[in-house]
Amino acid sequence: MYKIISDDKDKGGMRMITLDKTDLIEAMTDFKNKGYYLTCLNGVDMKDHLDVIYFIHNFDTNDYISVKVSTNDEHMPSLTKLFRVADWDEREQYDLMGIVFDGHDDLRRLFLPDEWVGHPLRKDYDLKKVQYVNMDSEGNEHVSFDEKEGS
Amino acid sequence: MMKTGEVGIKTTTLEKALEWGRSNSLWPLTMGLACCAIEMMAMQASDVDISRFGSEIFRNSPRQSDLMIVAGTTNKRMAPRIKRIYEEMPYPKYVIAMGVCVIQGGPYVDGYSVVMGVDKVIPVDVYVPGCPPTPQALTYGIITLQKKIRNETDR
Repeated sequence: MYKIISDDKDKGGMRMITLDKTDLIEAMTDFKNKGYYLTCLNGVDMKDHLDVIYFIHNFDTNDYISVKVSTNDEHMPSLTKLFRVADWDEREQYDLMGIVFDGHDDLRRLFLPDEWVGHPLRKDYDLKKVQYVNMDSEGNEHVSFDEKEGS
Repeated sequence: MMKTGEVGIKTTTLEKALEWGRSNSLWPLTMGLACCAIEMMAMQASDVDISRFGSEIFRNSPRQSDLMIVAGTTNKRMAPRIKRIYEEMPYPKYVIAMGVCVIQGGPYVDGYSVVMGVDKVIPVDVYVPGCPPTPQALTYGIITLQKKIRNETDR
């Protein structure tokens, strides 16, 4: 049985619960059996750890719950076995926040080219090191730090 | 010229005739990348009709168009594609940079993913500032480009 660390409501009346990372799959399976579906998935950089916030929605009772899970080592269990909709959401979080979802079949970058260095929405990402993208005649993209090799 | 029924003759140079023809049949390419594309569509619609100035219809193929209106934020992944589409357009070809994102980065001036001005990629003839520019402003940009093609000064 999973353990809910905290359970309260925000100003809009939405239920917010906090879970431990090891309980996530079990809790989400339980919520799915109650009729909840994953609608949105956020990542937050709290500087000393990363937060992932899952928004689940019950279409029968019109009930939203936000589930907040913290991670210290940039790894999270993947929810793609439960909800197929988590596929691209987790790829987006891997692309921009650098959260690695264990168990994801196809964890590639979603927006940026594959050769991009770093994850841009992290607080420690250096915006001074500008990266430039170019494309060869076959349509393959290449990334470099040199301004002459791309735009 | 009086309508007298006789054959009227007007002398000009071949360059002037070509410039007149080119400036009054600018066919734009639909290069809508972000929110500026809405204003570009409004310019083409019947409220602010660019058909009055000869820019008759938007073409979807770069081979049939001779004006590229880059409307919207130019991302770093989009910039090589813009360059490739620009190279597929036949000569003579002209470029209008629409909106501050395309001119110098705009609100994304320190962003990681936006090209700071499309003139780093392709040559630009007319800049139309605004966020977004109104359809009237873009129409004025097209009239300015027509004057540039006809080698007229703006005042």
